[in-house]
Amino acid sequence: MELRQVRRATERPLVSVVDDDESVRESLPDLLGEFGFAARAFSSAEEFLASDCVDQTRCLILDVAMPGMSGPDLQQELKLTRREIPIVFITASREATIRPQVLAQGAIECLFKPFSDTALLEAVNSALRSK
Amino acid sequence: MEVQPELASGEVRHLQRCINDLVSLLALPAIWSGGDPSQVLHTLLDALMRMLRLDLVSVRLTDLAGEAPVEIVRIAEQRGPMPPVHEICDALSQCLENDSRQWPPLLRNFMGDGDVSIVPLPLGPQGELGVIVAAAERTDFPRQTEALLLSVAANQASIGLQEARLLSDQKRVASELDQRVALRTAELAAVNEELKKELAERRVMEEKLGQEERELKRSEVRKAAIVDSALDCIVTIDHEGCITEFNPAAERTFGYSRDDVLGRPLANVIIPLSLREKHRQGFAQYLATGEARVLGKRIEMTAVRADGSEFPVELAITRIPLEGPPSFTGYLRDITERKRAEHELRRSEAFLAEAQHISRIGSFSWRIATDEIIWSEQLYRIFQIDRDAQVTFELIATRIHPEDLSAFQEHIERSRRDRTDVQLEFRLKMPDGTVKYVHVAAHIRSDHGRVEYFGAVQDVTERRASEEALSKARSELSHVARVTSLGVLTASVAHEVNQPLSGIVTNASTCLRMLAADPPNVEGARETARRTIRDGNRASEVISRLRSLYGKKDPTIESVDLNEATREVVALSLSELQRNRILVQQELADGLPLVAGDRVQLQQVILNLLRNASDAMSTIDDRPRDLLIRTESDDNDQVRLSVKDVGIGFEPQATDKLFEAFYTTKNEGMGIGLSVSRSIIERHHGRLWAMPNNGPGVTFSFSIPCRAESSTSDSTHAGRIPPVPDAA
Repeated sequence: MELRQVRRATERPLVSVVDDDESVRESLPDLLGEFGFAARAFSSAEEFLASDCVDQTRCLILDVAMPGMSGPDLQQELKLTRREIPIVFITASREATIRPQVLAQGAIECLFKPFSDTALLEAVNSALRSK
Repeated sequence: MEVQPELASGEVRHLQRCINDLVSLLALPAIWSGGDPSQVLHTLLDALMRMLRLDLVSVRLTDLAGEAPVEIVRIAEQRGPMPPVHEICDALSQCLENDSRQWPPLLRNFMGDGDVSIVPLPLGPQGELGVIVAAAERTDFPRQTEALLLSVAANQASIGLQEARLLSDQKRVASELDQRVALRTAELAAVNEELKKELAERRVMEEKLGQEERELKRSEVRKAAIVDSALDCIVTIDHEGCITEFNPAAERTFGYSRDDVLGRPLANVIIPLSLREKHRQGFAQYLATGEARVLGKRIEMTAVRADGSEFPVELAITRIPLEGPPSFTGYLRDITERKRAEHELRRSEAFLAEAQHISRIGSFSWRIATDEIIWSEQLYRIFQIDRDAQVTFELIATRIHPEDLSAFQEHIERSRRDRTDVQLEFRLKMPDGTVKYVHVAAHIRSDHGRVEYFGAVQDVTERRASEEALSKARSELSHVARVTSLGVLTASVAHEVNQPLSGIVTNASTCLRMLAADPPNVEGARETARRTIRDGNRASEVISRLRSLYGKKDPTIESVDLNEATREVVALSLSELQRNRILVQQELADGLPLVAGDRVQLQQVILNLLRNASDAMSTIDDRPRDLLIRTESDDNDQVRLSVKDVGIGFEPQATDKLFEAFYTTKNEGMGIGLSVSRSIIERHHGRLWAMPNNGPGVTFSFSIPCRAESSTSDSTHAGRIPPVPDAA
């Protein structure tokens, strides 16, 4: 039983969430867990970079606007260091320019908050398929 | 918790669908962004028809000035061909009262087609935007989830409509402003052109005046020479009119030598051809009757020289009192120069009058001892008083604006007493009721005990009018700023609301999935449901803050807690500030006295200062972007708010320019914020200023009086006639 759980945990792909909003950090990992993914949440880009999850992360759900390093900043940083994790951006802003901008930089999807569970699942699945 | 799997899974599917519909509704504003109201409504009605299996949904927008009334209807396809929209609308308004709160839930036999259940959905916080009506024949309509979806839809539509209207309002105001700027620019160009013309005309006139003066002087010298060197021409004739004497002055004047003309008829020598016949007749009449019109008088006539040139002469003829046939002596004087000087004088007077007319300046003199007043022609014109009237203070008083009369009379008495130079401005009221503004400047001169004021009166009505136009333009700018800052607020509010909505949707989805699992995870579901409620409360707080900002349209004076106002603005703009990596610190004084003012306007000023500080630090990367907002009360019953940044700052000499409309140190943006902010604060009897910090950056502050002060308005007229003694 214990063994099975450990094995299942390692089989489940890791989805990391980076968002400065606490309610997102609280709620998204639970939903991702219900989808069958392993999930970790970080309150800033810096915290994520300092963690040991960067290399294991199969999909990164990333907020656009954050104090300190922004989502697009982190996207560039990962690109420069050749750790090209598929990224699904999420944003509460309604600025029309954000989505084409991050997609042009290689993001899988950009979802506007609030988004439905199915839209999220589709985006994460296509992120996982992209590798 | 007991779970009945089949029922639960059916219910979960239903709720899941409801949540997906909710998300779709919530995503609508993103689609609407930039669209017009009718586009907003069409997509919304389509979405509702699709989601709720409605038989009919209609929307009616309240008429707004400048917008066509909007009525849209959707009807289910299986109901057959759709009757004309206006018939449905008429049927609806026959069944329904104006007040949507009093509508019945069921319409009996609607359009002869059976009963329908309806749900009215007012648009806008007070239903002021219009109303949506959803209707279905189903008896279970509306179910609880359907009612929820409909109320969210109405809310979304309200926000979408507000934004669409705001957008079109912004566009309209911007284009109006463009037009106004173009108009003003053209007007200014025209005025400029006119001024140039006027200047050029004045220059020409001044040159002419100078030339005339020189010529007058020269003519005086010439006259002196004539008086000195020459006696008048003296010519004598006998009874036949033949010349008997011709003196040297006459020789010089007429260009004949004495010997040439002696014995010749005078008429043939010095009288022009055209006058010769008349001369002969007069002479013959005298000889016959003894009557003469010319004898003993000075007359002016035209004479002719040897070379044929004609010139004006003054002539006096006397009869030589000798026995025998009559003989006469003529004294002739060449008056060419005098005529010319007279002509020039008349011309220069005309020039002066014209100059006064063009510049709308009249001149006057006033002898204090006798109250003798002399006006230039233009002054009669300014006062619209008949040119022949005797000018007295009583007459002047009939033209002075009644509200300015006592101040004017006081000024006259003071001038009479103090005898100092005068500068004043007052209004005239013409018989037809039009009002003119005039500016008076006068110097006192004393000459051998004769004390007299000499002065100029300028009609400055047009200048006043353009000053008023300017102030009107400024208040329009403040309207633009209001619209603009509301637009900025809407964007940051959308961000604030979307954040908790995201939590709500994610938690609710998770909750449903946990309940649908086998076995259901009740504990997890309970936790996610709890978070849903918490995020819901958070969203409603943001919305109520938004309501209070939008709720009031016209400036009103009320008691304002500046700390509370500040907190609201900071809360609404916090996410934008954080996005710009601004570290906001608040030091709000305890027990801050209330101020009297318009809360929304003051919040706009605070928002402006925050945005300025944020913009000033956008390029700062070598230090933390600290922003300190502080309130305090000072000794003079004033409340002060300051916003301190560590940004790029500005040159000390630019301090005054900062507040000019359109001056900006930024590369983008209109830069109207500070100028409008300052005018808002000044309307609150306060002041707004900027100081460079000791370290990097700038502190902007404003201070306004505490609530205690009551403002009265009778001080407005006291300042109209400012006494300016001893003005240079």
